[in-house]
Amino acid sequence: MSNNPALEVENLTKKIKGKQIIKGVSFTLFPGEVFGFLGPNGAGKTTTIRMIVGLISPTSGTIKIGGKNVRTQFTEAMKHLGCIVENPELYPYLTGWENLEHFAKMDPSIPMTRLQEVVDLVGMHNRIHDRVSTYSLGMRQRLGIAQALLGKPKVLILDEPTNGLDPAGIREMREFIRQLARDENLSVLVSSHLLSEIQLMCDRVAIISKGAVIRTDSVEKLLAEQERVIWKAEPIDRAKELLLEETEVQEGIDGTLITLYNEPLLPQWNEKLVLAGVKVKEMRTQLPSLEDLFLEVTGGETID
Amino acid sequence: MKKYTLTLVSFVSIAASLLWLFGLGWTFQDQFSANKKFDQPKVKTDSVTSKQDDALSIFALGDSLTRGTGDADGNGYTGYLSDLLKKKSEQEITLVNTAVKGETSSGLLKQMKQSEIQRQAKQADVIVMTIGGNDLFQQGAALESLNMDTINSQKQLYLTNVKKIYEQLRAQNEEAVIYHVGLYNPFSNLPDAKTTSSIVRDWNFQTAEMAANFENIIYVPTFDLFQLQVENYLYTDQFHPNTEGYKLIAERVASLITFEQEGNES
Amino acid sequence: MINLVRNEMLKLLRKKRLYVIVLIIAFLVPLFTYAQFKTIQEQREKLGAQDWRTALQQEITDTQNRLSSSRLQDEWRKYLKIRLSQQQYYLENDIDPRAPGAPTFMRVFVENSIDLLLPLLVMVIVADLVSSEASGGTIKLLLTRPVKRWRILLSKYLAMLLSVSFIVLSVAVLSYLISGVVFGYGGWNMPLLTGFAVSGDELLTENVHIVPQWQYILMEFGLVWYVCVIVGTLTFMLSVLLRSTAAVMGIMLAALIAGAILVNMVSSWESAKYFFMVNLNLTNYVSGMATPIEGMSLGFSMAVLAVWGIAGFIIAFVTFSKRDIY
Repeated sequence: MSNNPALEVENLTKKIKGKQIIKGVSFTLFPGEVFGFLGPNGAGKTTTIRMIVGLISPTSGTIKIGGKNVRTQFTEAMKHLGCIVENPELYPYLTGWENLEHFAKMDPSIPMTRLQEVVDLVGMHNRIHDRVSTYSLGMRQRLGIAQALLGKPKVLILDEPTNGLDPAGIREMREFIRQLARDENLSVLVSSHLLSEIQLMCDRVAIISKGAVIRTDSVEKLLAEQERVIWKAEPIDRAKELLLEETEVQEGIDGTLITLYNEPLLPQWNEKLVLAGVKVKEMRTQLPSLEDLFLEVTGGETID
Repeated sequence: MKKYTLTLVSFVSIAASLLWLFGLGWTFQDQFSANKKFDQPKVKTDSVTSKQDDALSIFALGDSLTRGTGDADGNGYTGYLSDLLKKKSEQEITLVNTAVKGETSSGLLKQMKQSEIQRQAKQADVIVMTIGGNDLFQQGAALESLNMDTINSQKQLYLTNVKKIYEQLRAQNEEAVIYHVGLYNPFSNLPDAKTTSSIVRDWNFQTAEMAANFENIIYVPTFDLFQLQVENYLYTDQFHPNTEGYKLIAERVASLITFEQEGNES
Repeated sequence: MINLVRNEMLKLLRKKRLYVIVLIIAFLVPLFTYAQFKTIQEQREKLGAQDWRTALQQEITDTQNRLSSSRLQDEWRKYLKIRLSQQQYYLENDIDPRAPGAPTFMRVFVENSIDLLLPLLVMVIVADLVSSEASGGTIKLLLTRPVKRWRILLSKYLAMLLSVSFIVLSVAVLSYLISGVVFGYGGWNMPLLTGFAVSGDELLTENVHIVPQWQYILMEFGLVWYVCVIVGTLTFMLSVLLRSTAAVMGIMLAALIAGAILVNMVSSWESAKYFFMVNLNLTNYVSGMATPIEGMSLGFSMAVLAVWGIAGFIIAFVTFSKRDIY
């Protein structure tokens, strides 16, 4: 991973009709990483993404794509960006090829040979000369990615890329995105409200709620964090002492102890405590998925 | 093929844009640049003559009487005449009326030079005309002064003109019967009626004499028609006949033509 | 920029709207041709005279009669004299003004379609030029390219101009070709009068002159094009402002029809002359017809239209480059 960020978002805000919709969002994407953007509908994911791609002008804050400011150096910044915002809405009355040609012509630096490359990349050569109106959603999604890749971007932004796809399509898309990041050293920003998706696809994730990023961390870290056991025992100091002999122990809020979740060892730890005269009042594993982590950090906000 | 269409439409559109811009520019130049001289179109004279015959064609010429001034329906005696003839003869009638309001004998003579008038005269089966009223009355001015010298000189000029008109009509058309509808005295209920009537009678007499020198030119008197109840037959201008007056004239002319037609057929 | 315009033209063509327009014209022209043909036939029957020369001679004498009336205004007299010489010109050059050729039909057709039919056709093409991108969502892909927004909009505007030219050309070509089957293809050199101006109740004739029909037609089509461009620009603006193509069409339709109605009843409401839709009938000034409201002239109407057009253009571009797209 190089140290030059592909996408920098700094303190981004947006006010619409006096209402603060985005409240200071900041994050950074590095080349070759898949970054998840996680939040419920209405949290500000799409608004943020639209600001990044230049469809909405931010009230304050800066966005740099490949080091170019989106507001002051729009065309240069856009050269490094490929995106699908929401659904891949292409011209249904044109063929797939004509759609690609249409977008390729808008950037004179794209050679026409690039068209065939992206078609091969997304594996569309069989149907590329059919009209888009005859395509299935999965094919449109692939064509959408093809058009996003035309300009050999550094940053690829995909808003809900697996929306409406069948399970096989979802898996295919996931692998494709990972492959792109790996092989082409692309930074991919994926937004989703499906946590399982993010979990499987992303290296890092930002959790956004009510217009603010609540947490940014690597997926492993978050996963590691969630698989813990929370102990309630008396006396607490004695329990901590005993558990420290076995594993790492953190003190949680309101007098709890948190240890890593380790299924085979857990009964032994428990036995040890009981034998030592510690009353184990409660023993529970911390929420088993990102979804619940999310619920916890956002304070019970629902996700659909 | 598809690409070809796109290129074609694009180029055609660009060419069309230029063409319309040019047209717009020309409009500016043409409409906004002031003081253009109106070019009198050059006269080319080649009249195509095509004699069309299965209908009886009436050619009317002369002044306001033939035009029909004063008739509420604008038909004039020529209109009623062709209606009457249509009924009587059950024949198709085409009426060509080239009469001009206020026409004098000099004016008519000038009009006769127009190729279209000549063409119409040539085609006609029947020619009807009124002329002389404006020479004599000069819109009513001459009779008020009753200046006999002026009237006499007018009459001389009129008679020479009428002679020429007759000659020219005859030169165009030897066969058609020409009905020259005569003058009445619109002032016969006014104080000077005696004088005016005698002038009109004299005028009519001289014209009739002239007509008699030509074959098939019939001078149709109308003096008697308007003699008694002139106010009933005059339009509000107290000069031109009204609808009833025109009908009287039409009936008189119609009776003559019918006779003529029957004569031809027998 | 050429590539951008080419893109827009491609989309226009693929949407098949242009073909539909051409088809509409191709259906309408025979209809009007037949109507015109019927009118001429009836006129001939009414006159009874099979020969047009006779009818024309009648008209000439009618004009002469009006000329001899003493209560005639000088200006009007001059106009009549010009018409008289025009009529005599027809007669002497053996031109039949009543049984017209295809060029005459073309002329009459555009004169009658300049204020409603052609603007409607233009509207159909232009209404969804921008709004369809917004409602179809493709605008998101279009505006995330390394191209400035105003250039994208300008390419659309240029495509609009091109398609307007194409429509006007279609009208010209189709009306000529189709009506020519009935009326014949000749008559380009027929002389026509133009240059009338109206001031108060008076008809000013000092600029009246004769132009050959082909020039007259070219001039009228120039004006038609101008009107269509203005209507196109305003529709374009609405198309930028509104997401729904139906709403754009609805508003334009209402405006155009309101204009057609207003023209017939606004003569006393003087400030109505600043509405664009009252000023669409530019060809009337060329042929010397009375204006709907006093004080209107070709220059005035063109200026009013230009102001509306420029305002629409500016609003469209400012809104489009500033607007947030959701």
